[in-house]
Amino acid sequence: MLQYLVILLDDTSVAYCHADNPLKERCLMPIETLKKGILFGMKHNLMIQYVFPDHALPDEYVSVIESIDNVKIYPMGCKPVTGIGVESEADVEVANSISNKVAAKNLVLRLTFSEMLKQKDNIAKLFASGARINLCITDMEQFTDEQIEVYRNLLEEWNGALLNLYKQGQSPQFNLLTDRMVLDKMHNCEAGVSNITLAPNGKFYLCPAFYYDEQMKVDNQLNHHQPTSDYSVGDLEKFLDIPNQQLLKLDHAPLCRVCDAYQCRRCIWLNRKLTWDHNTPSHQQCVMAHIERNASRDLLNEIRKMGDFMPEIQIKEIHYLDPFDVRKEF
Amino acid sequence: MKKLVGQVTPEEKNEIQQLFERKNGLNELAKILNADNTELYEKLVKDMGETGTKFQNWWDRMAQKYQWESEENGKWEINFDTNEIFLIV
Amino acid sequence: MSTLINIKENQDAWQSGMAKNITFIVTKDCQLACKYCYLVGKNVKERMPWEVAKTFIDYVLDHENDSEFAMESVIWEFIGGEPFLEIELIDKICDYIKMELFRRNHHWFNSYRFSFSTNGINYHEKAVQDFIKKNRDHLSIGITIDGTEKKHDMNRVWKQPVADDNGLTKPSERGSYKDVVKNIPLWLEQFPGGGTKVTISSADIPYITESVLHLYSLGIHEVNINVVFEDVWQDGDDLKFEEQLMQLADAIIDGGYYQDYACSFFSEHIGKPQDPVLDNQNWCGAGKMLSVDAAGNLYPCTRFAQYSLRDKEAWIIGNIHDGIDKNKLRPFLTLDRTTQSPQKCIECEVASGCAWCQGENYDAAHTHTVFQRATAICLMHKARVRANNYYWNKLYRKLELEDLREQYEANKREVKPEIC
Repeated sequence: MLQYLVILLDDTSVAYCHADNPLKERCLMPIETLKKGILFGMKHNLMIQYVFPDHALPDEYVSVIESIDNVKIYPMGCKPVTGIGVESEADVEVANSISNKVAAKNLVLRLTFSEMLKQKDNIAKLFASGARINLCITDMEQFTDEQIEVYRNLLEEWNGALLNLYKQGQSPQFNLLTDRMVLDKMHNCEAGVSNITLAPNGKFYLCPAFYYDEQMKVDNQLNHHQPTSDYSVGDLEKFLDIPNQQLLKLDHAPLCRVCDAYQCRRCIWLNRKLTWDHNTPSHQQCVMAHIERNASRDLLNEIRKMGDFMPEIQIKEIHYLDPFDVRKEF
Repeated sequence: MKKLVGQVTPEEKNEIQQLFERKNGLNELAKILNADNTELYEKLVKDMGETGTKFQNWWDRMAQKYQWESEENGKWEINFDTNEIFLIV
Repeated sequence: MSTLINIKENQDAWQSGMAKNITFIVTKDCQLACKYCYLVGKNVKERMPWEVAKTFIDYVLDHENDSEFAMESVIWEFIGGEPFLEIELIDKICDYIKMELFRRNHHWFNSYRFSFSTNGINYHEKAVQDFIKKNRDHLSIGITIDGTEKKHDMNRVWKQPVADDNGLTKPSERGSYKDVVKNIPLWLEQFPGGGTKVTISSADIPYITESVLHLYSLGIHEVNINVVFEDVWQDGDDLKFEEQLMQLADAIIDGGYYQDYACSFFSEHIGKPQDPVLDNQNWCGAGKMLSVDAAGNLYPCTRFAQYSLRDKEAWIIGNIHDGIDKNKLRPFLTLDRTTQSPQKCIECEVASGCAWCQGENYDAAHTHTVFQRATAICLMHKARVRANNYYWNKLYRKLELEDLREQYEANKREVKPEIC
């Protein structure tokens, strides 16, 4: 069921997930489109999440933006000043590099795998900031099996830092390691299922990444016999039309529906890019999510040595990293 | 005349089927290999001898084990689908 | 009781379920331009160079220990267009495979076949016959003949002599029946159990009965017959189809053909509900197979090559130089029946035996997916089930009256689930 409407206020609105935003030219969502988008959200009971660019918006947008309860996603250092409304606890700051100052309660840190390794100590320092840290690896598709041990060791190191904070009575939140400890079912991105994106052109997309691909005329990564770079799934006039929407849902993903790496993003854009089917995760996504899952299990076990902690959560020991390797074959 | 005289186990069938397939493969390979290709040719000749021996040994072993009915000038034949042994006269 | 009752069934494929299918698309050319052919991009230009074939074979054999190539047996399949147009290349490929399997002590040396589906036109030619003699014990060859001359020539026509500027070929008015039927006796002499594939499209329905009986009269004991998966069916076709199949059922039973001749339309195992959990296997083997084309691109099945697709792009899973991108195989290897089926199929009371083609599913899908089952044959399957029920009810009654039913039940063989 749809719950969230993500509104990209500008073509250069900040990228906050796996896909980089390659669009460099400003193209503001027309104010009438914005108003219609908000109306759509209101009529469908959707929580609106505005995604801001790194420049200020014209004054007339402010009152429109604040005409509805919302969450703001904005680039680091560019906190929108509206002068109206209440700052939401859920507002999200997005950074592409490490900063010591975290203004929001939620920080999305977008890094490549190698940057993440280089910055591991600085990242660990953020755990104590009180903010929820969402680390998003922007080049997951490059991850190789040779890096499994490296990633495992990194998470083990971070587990140590997190454990120290727990010992001090704090409750750090770091998506890669602490989310799984509190989840008893899948909690994924759910693009096209629980959330949908409205782009400045007034069209709906499964998520911002599909809008970027369309604007960049990215074909389907096949052999380009025919252009298929229209990725929209409806517009404000015709409303939503998501073909094969069932394939975006968990019960139509044969690998994911029996998986317990509940913290996995299950990024359908990456699925599409790497396996060509929205409902099938890549080897990279599965392996990384399972390394995280197993490290969460270790952390949970360590925390439990100090006393009761989330007794209802079970993370059992498993001996595979890719559920594809142990899939049920008929 | 074709008469059912016994049956072997699936494992025994697999053994003779594999030898049968190998024998056929070697025979067809022999049609395209000549002595100029010394290394492969010698390997082939050796293998044909070994496979032929193993093939005969299987029939001797099974005949001993199951004591199938036989006749002078008759021969046994196996059905790979059913594992049945027939006497052909 | 003196008579031993036998009801001939269609044969399982060699090493069914235990063999890796590896297909060479040796040419996209064919002498014919059949009107129902799903190969929409046939052309005279794309012929496989020897170097591509050799590099591919080396790639496959170098990866003997990879899970994709660990199967006990292998079927090296050659398709086109018409594969025998490239008999010299095929001969060279097969010789190389045999030598390399032996030289490398590859486990497939003990279990391989070369398989062909041909239009039969140049079957008698010396090069083809020499090849057959040389590889006799490892060959499986099927000749496609569609039935009576009228039925065959409705669709299986020669192509026009001149291709267009893109090398694409077009149908002529000249049927190919006479050119094929002359080679049937030679083929049956060499492959006595040989079966033929018959394809049924909308216009063919009235000729089904006479065509199957005609094929029996030619000495072909096994007729594998399918309706096309594409959305070509007209209103009322299902009822006409049912009527034809009932006529065929009468002819087979009354004429006693069921003892020595098989027709794949009739099977005891179709038309039952399927359990969403226990009967959840995919029908199609796409992804477990591997195909290579003249450019050296690899596909999960030939149906995913561009010349087979109307509306979608080729689903290339790698190439002979870089190998298989295993991510691209994951959707195929995780496919199950229920995930790709609409609710009406999951709840269908006569679901078993209803087939699909993953390539057609992909081509007809609303999005870029192999998880959307095309259901254009729904009414045709239901019609087949009704006629099939009639067939078995009538046959059982006949056997009962002849006091042969119990013997048949006691001796009938177990049938493995059919897959494409």
